[in-house]
Amino acid sequence: MSRESIVVHSATKRFRLVRIPKRTTLKEAIVKRSFFTNARRNEVFVDAVHEVSFDVARGSMLGILGRNGSGKSTLMRLLAGIYKPDSGSIKVDGDVAPLLSLGLGFHPDMSGRENVRMNGLILGLSPRQIDRRLDDIVDFAELRDYVDVPVRMYSSGMYMRLAFAVAVSVNPDVLLLDEVMAVGDAAFVAKCLDRMRLFKRQGKTIVLVSHDTGAIAEWCDSALWIDEGRVRMTGTPDRVADAYTVALAENDYRSGSIGAGLLEHT
Amino acid sequence: MVQSVYRYRWLLYELTLRDLTLRYRGSALGFAWTFLNPLLAMLVYTLVFSVYLRIPIPHYAVFLISGLLPWLWFSSSLTIGTSAIVDGRSYVGSSMFAPVILVVVPILTNGVNYLLSVPLLLALAAYFGVPIGWPILVLPVLMGIQILLTLGFLLILSSLNVFYRDLQQLMMTLIGMAFYLAPIFYPLTQVPERYRPFLFIDPIVPLILGYQNIFFYNRLPNALEVSYALVVALALCFIGRRVFNRYKDAFADYA
Repeated sequence: MSRESIVVHSATKRFRLVRIPKRTTLKEAIVKRSFFTNARRNEVFVDAVHEVSFDVARGSMLGILGRNGSGKSTLMRLLAGIYKPDSGSIKVDGDVAPLLSLGLGFHPDMSGRENVRMNGLILGLSPRQIDRRLDDIVDFAELRDYVDVPVRMYSSGMYMRLAFAVAVSVNPDVLLLDEVMAVGDAAFVAKCLDRMRLFKRQGKTIVLVSHDTGAIAEWCDSALWIDEGRVRMTGTPDRVADAYTVALAENDYRSGSIGAGLLEHT
Repeated sequence: MVQSVYRYRWLLYELTLRDLTLRYRGSALGFAWTFLNPLLAMLVYTLVFSVYLRIPIPHYAVFLISGLLPWLWFSSSLTIGTSAIVDGRSYVGSSMFAPVILVVVPILTNGVNYLLSVPLLLALAAYFGVPIGWPILVLPVLMGIQILLTLGFLLILSSLNVFYRDLQQLMMTLIGMAFYLAPIFYPLTQVPERYRPFLFIDPIVPLILGYQNIFFYNRLPNALEVSYALVVALALCFIGRRVFNRYKDAFADYA
């Protein structure tokens, strides 16, 4: 096994965006003879992640910073193997447990228990493994009294706690967390942090996306700042977090979203 | 593809169970709908075709339902399955499990529904005094071929539907038309002889005839017809696997 758990080399992920044409009336459609929307004409290509390279050492925690739409979530999906890069390469060693959107596969009408089963199965556990862990999961999520209640009756905090508890119970080699602790209270965040420290001691790797620069500076071993799909800065978390905070305050980069350049492209 | 289905067999089981139970959760009659839907359809068809139009078949209800049940399995699987990848976009976009699972679930869910309604057919046959003998032993063979056939269709349809959503609409229409062209509410003998070969363009037709042989005529399905269905099913699975594998990496982008 190599020292690096994640190696990303010059990865690019391109998206085809389709603009939904402005609504036309039937009369206009007849006059302009544009019954069939020409999808090709309305599409725009955007690099959500552009030639990004970095690596993460085994047993360490990387924090990713960036504004909304800067490409953080796309990068996480690339790491999870959900998206394939259009160019470049991405190597991730071992089992990956992505916690990318809260409560993936949570069905509102099913109980917490049923959803834990489903979520565990999606993450690749067997029913026996899930049964063995169910108590732990429920205890960790502090949902003992609510485990048989449909999750549509959960608060967003309860929802998040359950999702987080399932993801860490998988015992993955690489844990991907995309902005999932934002809805937890201080006590639960502290508990998550404890669990992540334990993970690191076991030589597991964590990638964390967060808007909380303080948290990144405090918890992570290294940080990555991405801006419009490109790496803007890498380094120690406190330095990157400082630079990012300063840049935000100076307002020197106003609309760092991938859609910002849309008009120029068309 | 076979390995990924095996690897996620528990997920497949759970998703199928969820589909079966959630479909009727909160409805007063619950699972009874599995029987009630085909039963109500049977009443109307029997009235129209046996009483009004006088299709000359004794015990028409048994004839009809022996072909109608597998047809319902086939057509609902195709309708739901064509949009399975698109409808499952929340899974496809946020996890790594094999998307082929999403395609297999509707086939199994509707297959279980079919199996659950077979007792209804047996009861009906007993009531009308239609004998059902040992040819019923080959029912699993017909069902197996039907699963392959549906899967082959769906591998192609569900992956193309990600890029061309028109397919969903087209399938609804085609399935509606195919129902009238398949010898389900009329016997094959009603069709003029020179038109009969064309009926077999639809590969579910030989299987429907097989089911009718088992449950209505009390004889073995025609080996040649069944083999034909099997060959088409395998060919579709082979093509479907290639199409599906070719496009599956792009599902997360487009679904």
